[in-house]
Amino acid sequence: MTTMNAERLKQLAEAYGADKRRWPEAERKAAEALMASDGPWADRVLFEARQTDAALDASARPMISNALRDRVIASAMAAGLSPRKARLVWDRLVLWFGAGWAAAACAGVIAGASLTPHLTADAQADAVLYQSSLSGVDDTEVLG
Amino acid sequence: MASIVDPDEELVRRVGQGDPAAIQAMVARKLPRMLALAQRMLGDPVEAEDVAQEAMLRAWKQAPRWRPGKAKFDTWLHRVGLNLCYDRLRRRREVPTETPPDRPDDGPAPDRGLLAAELGVRVDAALRRLPERQREAIVLCHYQELSNIEAADLMQISVEALESLLSRGRRALRQTLADMAPNAERRGAEG
Repeated sequence: MTTMNAERLKQLAEAYGADKRRWPEAERKAAEALMASDGPWADRVLFEARQTDAALDASARPMISNALRDRVIASAMAAGLSPRKARLVWDRLVLWFGAGWAAAACAGVIAGASLTPHLTADAQADAVLYQSSLSGVDDTEVLG
Repeated sequence: MASIVDPDEELVRRVGQGDPAAIQAMVARKLPRMLALAQRMLGDPVEAEDVAQEAMLRAWKQAPRWRPGKAKFDTWLHRVGLNLCYDRLRRRREVPTETPPDRPDDGPAPDRGLLAAELGVRVDAALRRLPERQREAIVLCHYQELSNIEAADLMQISVEALESLLSRGRRALRQTLADMAPNAERRGAEG
């Protein structure tokens, strides 16, 4: 790290100006301590830098026209930035979940359809067996 | 490598998601900086607008895939803006123009003094006459208020070299504008 002394302080003022916020952060405290110890000398060092800063600050900041602002905002849309993009992610999630539910429902229908004949056949067989186990008296009763 | 704290991180994330309010905020925050950078580097308002618009377009394209923690978004955007300015300055050198881009300096007006606007015009003219690298150093450190490390990194030079450019540039400006502060030299010497 650079040693802080009168020469370095002068270099800082000549390079960065009198506003200490522009000075390297690592050297700021040491520079301030040195300046505090010899106020008049530091003022002399900073005087010229302050004059140059004032001249630089006289340069007007360019104004942003409404036309330029509008063009730049429009360019964001042209570049594909829009809330729609964020919505698309959600829409895709909904679509996937929806597709999942639909697939589960279809699977249920198919399983049900394939199981039904077996169950019906079993029930019919049970009914026949039951009827065959009934006695002849019953047939007479029924047939008269 | 330590992660970089970026004040624009959240805004960039929202811009990347297409949040209209974030886009407006980004324009308010960055467009003036890009226009100021280009205006002072190029000295031409029309070219400066083109550069600022192109830099912002690249920001829109970058935002959705921006990976925070590696660099500050503002520094990245300055690099984009500077490269666009370099391209234009290079083209100017390749195609010699009949009239130089610098406006003539009208010189001092000691009798009536200088209004603030006139003063600004003279400062701008003096800035344009500086060697390119000295002007760039002053623009980045003084006007854009980047840190010395950020500015040196953008210019791909050491901090010592940056300080040398700054000192020489500021000295040249003082000499050009010396007549604006006739008492300055005397007061400085007296003090």
